[in-house]
Amino acid sequence: MADILLEGRNLKKYYPVTKGLLQRTIGWVRAVDDISFTIERGKTLSLVGESGAGKTTAAKQILLLEKLTSGDIFFEGKNVYKFSKAELKTEYRPRVQSVQQNPWSSMNPRMRVRDIIAEPLVVNTKQTKEQIRSRVAELLENVGLAPNQADYYPHEFSGGQRQRIAVARALALNPSLVVLDEPVSALDVSIRAQIMNLLKDLQGQYNLSYLVIAHNLATVRFMSHSVAIMYLGQIVEYGDAEEVFKHPLHPYTRALMSASMLTLPEDESEEAQPIILSGEMPSPLNPPPGCRFHTRCTEAQDICSKEIPGEVEIGKRHWVKCHQSSLR
Amino acid sequence: MSEIVLKVEDLHTSFFTRAGEFKAVDGVSFYVREGETFGLVGESACGKTVTGLSILRLLPEPAGKIVGGKIILDGKNILELSKKEMRAYRGSMISMILQDPMTSLNPVYTVGDQIAESVRQHQHIQDSKMVEDQVISALRLLRIPAPEQRLHDYPFQMSGGMRQRVVGSISMSCYPRVLIADEPTTALDATIQAQYLALFKDVQKKTNVAIIFITHDFGVVANICQRVAVMYAGKILETAKTSTIFKAPKHPYTIALIHSVPRLDRKDDRLYSIEGQPPSLLNLPPGCRFAPRCPDVMDICREQQPPEVEIEEGHSVSCWKVK
Repeated sequence: MADILLEGRNLKKYYPVTKGLLQRTIGWVRAVDDISFTIERGKTLSLVGESGAGKTTAAKQILLLEKLTSGDIFFEGKNVYKFSKAELKTEYRPRVQSVQQNPWSSMNPRMRVRDIIAEPLVVNTKQTKEQIRSRVAELLENVGLAPNQADYYPHEFSGGQRQRIAVARALALNPSLVVLDEPVSALDVSIRAQIMNLLKDLQGQYNLSYLVIAHNLATVRFMSHSVAIMYLGQIVEYGDAEEVFKHPLHPYTRALMSASMLTLPEDESEEAQPIILSGEMPSPLNPPPGCRFHTRCTEAQDICSKEIPGEVEIGKRHWVKCHQSSLR
Repeated sequence: MSEIVLKVEDLHTSFFTRAGEFKAVDGVSFYVREGETFGLVGESACGKTVTGLSILRLLPEPAGKIVGGKIILDGKNILELSKKEMRAYRGSMISMILQDPMTSLNPVYTVGDQIAESVRQHQHIQDSKMVEDQVISALRLLRIPAPEQRLHDYPFQMSGGMRQRVVGSISMSCYPRVLIADEPTTALDATIQAQYLALFKDVQKKTNVAIIFITHDFGVVANICQRVAVMYAGKILETAKTSTIFKAPKHPYTIALIHSVPRLDRKDDRLYSIEGQPPSLLNLPPGCRFAPRCPDVMDICREQQPPEVEIEEGHSVSCWKVK
C-alpha cells in the first residue's frame, strides 16, 4: 500500500464573470473542473499542460491560496477543510511550502538573504536568534551556497543562485510537501540541470514530496514519479510517469510529446514527423461539449463532440479520458 | 548551392558604460544562404541578440557601438551605409521578429495599421488600396484566417499565437531577403510553438528568405535550422550542420549543453551539469572563455585564446583540445 501524503478529491475552481454596475454573474470560468490526484510520501507528482490548463490554480488550491469551489483536500488522511485556523497554522501550512517560478520577483529586494530564509522560522517557530542563525547557515549549505553569503542581498546573486535561496527558504520549516511552480523555466539551460539535480538530491535526503507544475515534458520526465496531463481544467491522462511516457494514449499527450521531441531535420521516418494540432485551446468560459479536446483532436469522431469520455483504466495506475481508448 | 545573402566577418560590438567596456560580441563570423535557416544558440548574455541588433544597426546608442568587422549584405558592407541608406535597407532587405508579441505590438493601433506602417515606410506605397492588398497578403502568408476582417482587430483581441503571427506578417510584409528571428517561439505554448515553426518553414519555402534564428532551445534548433553556431560569452565556439552538432559535437561546451538538457525519450537519473556560471563580460578571462568551467581544461586554455579550426567542411571549432 502506497504511503499517501496528500490527496485532492474532485477539486473545482470556478471564477465568476460579472457584468454591469450590479456585478451580475453572467458565467463561470472553469479554471479547474473536477480533478483528483494523490501525492505519495517522498515522491513527485507533476501537473503538465499549456497556459490556461489550470495547473497553477490547482497548485494554489493545495497551498490554500485559492478557496475551492468544491472538493476536498486530505493531508495524511485528514480533511484540510475541517482543520481549525490554529490547526492549519501548526499542522498544515508549515508542512506545505512552495518555490515560485521567477526568482527575480519572489524575493523582497530590500531584505538580506539571511532574513529571507529566516522569515518562515521567525513567523512559525519560537527559536532564538542563535538557533535561527545556525539553521540559516545549515540551509544555505544544503542548497550549495556558502554560509557567509547570508549577508548579501538578492540582486548580488545570479538566477540559479537565487533559485537555490528560494529552495532554502521553502525547506526552512522541514516541510513534507513542496509545491514547485515551474522551478527551472526561468533559468538558463546549463543552470537548469544544476537546480534539477539539487531538487532530486534534497528529495532523497529529506524524503520530500513534490508537486511540480511544468509545461516542459522532458523536465517532467526527469523529475516525476507520477504525471497528470491537464487540458482546459481537466486531467486527460494520469499515471506512473514511466507508463505515460512509454505508452502515451491520449491524442493530446501524444501531440505534446511530439512537440517536445528532439528530431533532426533530415530524419524523415514516420515517428519523427511532428503531430501539429490545429487551432488553439478554447476558452474555459465556454468549454466545448463532449470531450474538451475534440475541437483540436486529430482522431476525433462523432461521439467525441457529444459525450464526455469517462476514465478508462489501462494497466496498473494509468488511466485516460478518451473515447478512442474505451472503444478499443 | 544557393547564394550567400549575408556574411558577418569578425564582428565586434561593445557597450561603453561607466563601469567599463562590455564586449558583448567579440569577433563573430558566419554567413547565411538564401532559403536557409541558420541558428545562433546560447544562454542569456552570450551576445546572440546583440549580434542580431548589430546586423540591423539598431543598437541602443550611444552606449552600444560596433567597433569592428564587416556585415556584407548582397555584396555591400552595410556598416559603411549612411543612416538614411540603412533605413531603406531595413524592412525591405532585412527585418526582425522579437521575442514577446505582447510588447512588440502597439496596443492602441489595429494590426492592419501596424503592418501598413511598415509597407508605407519601406516601400513608399501611398495608395491605400494597394497598401491594404499588401497587408492582406502578408496576413495570408502567415495563415491568419479571415485576414480581411482580422486586420481591423487590436492586438488584445488576439491570442498569443495569433499575435506572434501578426509580428511575423509585419516583418515579412516587404518580402525581405534576410529575417532575424529572436526567440520568436519562447513565449508560446508547446503545441502552438510547433504550429508556428511549421508555418515558418512554409513561409520560407514560399519566399526563399534567409533566416537567422536566435534561440536557447536545442529542440527548436533541431526542428528548424540547417546549420547552427553555438555562442558563449561573445564568441562563437562551434559552427556546424545541425545533425553534426547533435551527433558529433566537438567543443566541450557544446557537448555539455547537449548533455545537460533532459530527454523525453529516456529516463535519466542525473543530469550532466556544468558547474559555475558564464564569465562577466567586463572581466573576461585572457584565454578561452569557457576555460574556468571546462572539464578538459589544459594550461594553454587559460593563457591563449584558441584559434578557429575547420576540422571538416562546414564544421569549425575554437578549442585547443580539438587542434
